[in-house]
Amino acid sequence: MSEKRKITIFYAILLGCLCFYFQSFGQRTQIRGFMDVLTGLQNDKVSFTLGEQDLFITSELSDRFSFLGESVFKFTPGTPTTFSVSIERAIVKYNFQGNHNLLIGKHHTPINYWNDTYHHGRVLFPTIYRPLLFEADIIPLHTTGVSLQGQNLGNLKFGYDLMVGNGLGSDDVLDNNKRKSITGAVHIKPAEGLRIGLSWYNDEMAAGSKTHEGKLITWDVRQNLFSPSVAYFGNKVEVLAESTLAINHTDTTGTKQTFAGYIYAGYRIKEKLVPYIRFDRLHFQDGEILFDKNNTTSIVGGIRYNINYLTAVKLEYQYEQTELEKNINKVTFQIAVGF
Amino acid sequence: MAARHPPGFMVCRKCLPVLLLVAVGFMTRAQDVHLTAIGNVKGAPSEMRSSDLVSVLKGEKQRWSDGTKVTIYIMKTTTPIGQSTCKKIYNWSADKVKRYWLELSFSGKADAPTFCNTVEELESYVSQNPGAIGIIDRNSTSNGVKTILIDGKNPF
Repeated sequence: MSEKRKITIFYAILLGCLCFYFQSFGQRTQIRGFMDVLTGLQNDKVSFTLGEQDLFITSELSDRFSFLGESVFKFTPGTPTTFSVSIERAIVKYNFQGNHNLLIGKHHTPINYWNDTYHHGRVLFPTIYRPLLFEADIIPLHTTGVSLQGQNLGNLKFGYDLMVGNGLGSDDVLDNNKRKSITGAVHIKPAEGLRIGLSWYNDEMAAGSKTHEGKLITWDVRQNLFSPSVAYFGNKVEVLAESTLAINHTDTTGTKQTFAGYIYAGYRIKEKLVPYIRFDRLHFQDGEILFDKNNTTSIVGGIRYNINYLTAVKLEYQYEQTELEKNINKVTFQIAVGF
Repeated sequence: MAARHPPGFMVCRKCLPVLLLVAVGFMTRAQDVHLTAIGNVKGAPSEMRSSDLVSVLKGEKQRWSDGTKVTIYIMKTTTPIGQSTCKKIYNWSADKVKRYWLELSFSGKADAPTFCNTVEELESYVSQNPGAIGIIDRNSTSNGVKTILIDGKNPF
């Protein structure tokens, strides 16, 4: 029997076994998607923008195992098709006891409420864009690794995440050094709609690595991030306040601190209509070498209309004042859908 | 002089109170539906507090005390039972319930419920899946299904 034929038979048997295995557990797979389109007015010019298209899959593999995958198709200049696909999340979850789970794969780092809740489903975002805390590459959005997670424990609905993974300067297949990143996060939900959380992130980035944005780092950097978070989404009032204190240390420059935070507030004047504001602030200490020092203040005011739970339109004005670039005044209209 | 109206208009005017009553009747129907919680004989307890039921139906409990996985079955929010479930149990609009589950499943924190078209379909799911819990509007006579008292009451 030829080698090729043997491989074909092997895969056919394997596929058959997998089909039988999943059928015997009554596997349930759901595929959903999200996308958004925008129109913006900036510098007296109107532009139409295609947002991300997000493919989201969940599958219950067995009584205790489940899978979650999230892939994003997005505009990426410089590529042959000007679009690229990225794996944003790919997680296998094992529910080992009660509300306690073991997760392995590529996660959105559970560092704060926004990163742990909204992901790439723009229809769920309270504003059009993410807060600057995310755009400025201050927090590690993704971590590939393993985590322990507990949720809704006790009367206060206590939750925790303890994650170990490839850290700063690493990719999804290889860590850049021996040190693993550590994320520890806790939260409580003491009342309906209220979540209060705190997280700590620790890692060391080896000299010669590149940041998520491709910046070459020439010193070993030890990083600690402390991120408190308060989220309240009631029937009328919405408040989300989060910040991160980043402490980066190198032997050459010593310890430098960066503060990034935002506060969002919305008020539901009708069931589907929410005017909102958001204030963002980024402040870097002189001599910071890991982040691009660009002190920034931004104010966003907008209105969100949820046509239904799968369709939202938002109209938003943003004024952004930065240290290094021209101030930004822009008006953006977005329609975001889930399907 | 009073304006003349076509005969059909007069008929409609006489029927208006009746039509209004029927319309109001339909509007309130969702709230009038009495609900019954049912569960597979394996997993769910025979009696629960209403606060525990809400917690379970919000996906906050992954396993029953015997270790069986919790799976949730509710009627589609377009049905009177589904609307009543949203109002009485979640205390939210149908849209908010669906959005809540979209957010929760998207964050990977819980498996979304199965939304059923008919009570028979829901009963069938509950009877076949250990750990299943569902909300309908009557006692179930299906094999493998038990009624769950909520705060000692059925219906609740």
